[in-house]
Amino acid sequence: MDRTLIEKVTSMVLEELKVEQHSASVKPPASMRMVKIYNNLNTKPTFGEVTDTTRSDEEAIEEPTFYSTVASPKNKEKLLENQEKTPARIGIGRAGVRPKTNALLKFRLDHAAAVDAVYGKVTEDLLSRMKWFSVQTSTETQEEYIRRPDLGRKLNEDSKKLIESQCEKNPQVQIVISDGLSSEAIEQNAEDVYLSLSQSLNQLGFQTGTPFFVKNGRVAVMDEIGELLQPDVIILLIGERPGLISAESLSAYICYQPRKGTIEADRMVVSNIHRGGIPPAEAGAYLGNVIKKVLTFKASGVSLLQKEK
Amino acid sequence: MSRANRKETIISAGIDIGTSTTKMIISEFTLVNTAGVSHVPRIEIIDKVILYRSPIFQTPLLDGGTHLNMPAIHEIVHGEYEKAGIASSAIRTGAVIITGESATKENAAEMIHDLASEAGEFLVATAGPDLEGIIAAKGSGAYDYSIATGQCVANIDIGGGTANLAVYKAGKLCGTCTLHVGGRLIQFQDNVVTHVSKPVMQWARTRGINNVDMAHVDALLEEMVRTLVLALQGSQELQHHPFLLGHVPDWSDEVEVIMFSGGVSECLYYSDRCDGHYNDIGVKLAQKLKESPALARWQRVTPTETVRATVLGAGTQTTEISGATIQVSPDVLPLKNLPVHRFHFPNGQIDEQIVRKEMEQAGALYDPLAEGNLFALFLSGLGVLRFKDIQQLAVWLVDSLHHTVHDALPIVIVVANDLAKVLGQCIQAIVPHRPVICIDQISIDNGDYLDIGSMLQSEVVPVVVKTLAFHK
Repeated sequence: MDRTLIEKVTSMVLEELKVEQHSASVKPPASMRMVKIYNNLNTKPTFGEVTDTTRSDEEAIEEPTFYSTVASPKNKEKLLENQEKTPARIGIGRAGVRPKTNALLKFRLDHAAAVDAVYGKVTEDLLSRMKWFSVQTSTETQEEYIRRPDLGRKLNEDSKKLIESQCEKNPQVQIVISDGLSSEAIEQNAEDVYLSLSQSLNQLGFQTGTPFFVKNGRVAVMDEIGELLQPDVIILLIGERPGLISAESLSAYICYQPRKGTIEADRMVVSNIHRGGIPPAEAGAYLGNVIKKVLTFKASGVSLLQKEK
Repeated sequence: MSRANRKETIISAGIDIGTSTTKMIISEFTLVNTAGVSHVPRIEIIDKVILYRSPIFQTPLLDGGTHLNMPAIHEIVHGEYEKAGIASSAIRTGAVIITGESATKENAAEMIHDLASEAGEFLVATAGPDLEGIIAAKGSGAYDYSIATGQCVANIDIGGGTANLAVYKAGKLCGTCTLHVGGRLIQFQDNVVTHVSKPVMQWARTRGINNVDMAHVDALLEEMVRTLVLALQGSQELQHHPFLLGHVPDWSDEVEVIMFSGGVSECLYYSDRCDGHYNDIGVKLAQKLKESPALARWQRVTPTETVRATVLGAGTQTTEISGATIQVSPDVLPLKNLPVHRFHFPNGQIDEQIVRKEMEQAGALYDPLAEGNLFALFLSGLGVLRFKDIQQLAVWLVDSLHHTVHDALPIVIVVANDLAKVLGQCIQAIVPHRPVICIDQISIDNGDYLDIGSMLQSEVVPVVVKTLAFHK
């Protein structure tokens, strides 16, 4: 990647923002969507050296909107209607053979948000508010987590002991939360999904275990948790790999009696849980019914489909 | 996810009891989950096939035309079910609509409620001039044409008693208007006038005519075309015109294309199918419309359905499917003819003042004596809410309902956004033993009554939004 270009674009964005903020000369209201500027792209990609991923600047500024469209559309209504139907970048116009400035800036911004989501951390504030204790997989750093999916599927020894000492054994449903590839997904959605899911499970009469948070987890980490706690069902709320449409999308993986050697076909997933997809609170309410089905048929994933027939 | 690609079909009926003719259609809808495997299901109607079209029957009347002949209409409907080879119990949705002057008959309301409850498991009754126009525009193809072209299309459905205009632009309803313009407003036998409808008499009196005879027909037709042109122009001049039924045109867009449907349009587009056996001015009206230079300014497009536009619309376009994540107590469905009260949250957030104020109004409107009349709450304008906000909203709703609706009655809530299941569960958590119906992704823009059908296999409910206004 061309670093000078990125720096140039970033400084342009910041300049533009300063001008905008200055002219408005009012502080944006706290309820506005904020974007945080981190320094993730300037990490040194030298192997063997611990990479510095700490946030250099945590000050939040208002997220700029970059709107770009075809200059003179033949049928404006139709174009707007189509644009409303998809978050994809359609009808954004062009300047010669290149994207328009706004389209490029939007792309850069979304890309930066995706990078932030991968390198970000779930805040202590959320964990303590939700009373989720935190454990760690066998990965030491974020870089290692990204390069070694196998380690993200294993808990470290301290974590195993912690889980065994803290958690109720043999629950019907064990809820686990993990940052996965997007800490933002957890920050934005996990609370609402969790509360709504808990209410739903409670109404359906299912008994739930002690929830906890796994740092740097991969989906299959649920197998080891299954061995430790022997639950009937595990539901893992995990951050999805960020894309350019949304960097905060959450997935819920559900598996009936996950244990060592569980095959991927027996896991099922409800994805796209975020403000722009399925609303988190509604997703939680729906997931209760999915778990009910899993418990009724004593199967999940492909096995469930076969039993349902 | 387990419902992926599993298809379900339901049978829908449409019955149109018009001023001069009665007809019905039976169609089959295919429902399927169109969401990806890993997504929350989204059930949509992906296909509609017409299984049966009835012939056109003359609407049976009694007592010199003041009443609809109920037994005769029942006979027609059941006879047609038999011909189509469909049991009335197989009808899962659809609408009976009573249109034009039939809606003014003394037993109109009784007739359609009776027919709706008896002729199909979830066949709903509907009426009202605005809805007639909307349903006809959907049946005639005008609505689809406006989507395909992005143009502003006016559908003019002219039957025996009324002309119902509905204007659509790019699939969006711009407005409606209804005129006393129709083929059956004057009837005759051997060139002698035998019946003149009230609005025509009113108009005649303004011209100093006391006895309308055949010599006045031409002037009358000219006047009908003139009012139609005024209406298409969106003119407010019509305000006190005897031919205006209800409100003046309420659209602000310029109409670009016109399409005619209804019985009279049959003579307009297909003169060979038109033999004038109705002994009324329908044929002459069609001729006038065809030749009118004033109407020639608009581009004219041939509809896909003429005389059957309304019945097709009633049979295939009235049913909506709820969102797939909903919370319903199955025992209380179907529910019919629920008046709807709208709770609008203008800034996207929950607001206790709005809940309490609207609930009070709803109670005063629909259940003033606290007799336990059911009504539905429609919540619109809400954004993506946090769980705690939804919980709070549930508390306010239940608490304020407590003062208006009897405790044993079901709570019926429709939400525009996707949050019915969580809201329903939050309400259920407060009142565990009370039936709760909470559905979403239904828009209640054109109508004030609601019918909710039984839950289908796909775990959605069919919903019909409608009006029940009978012409005065």
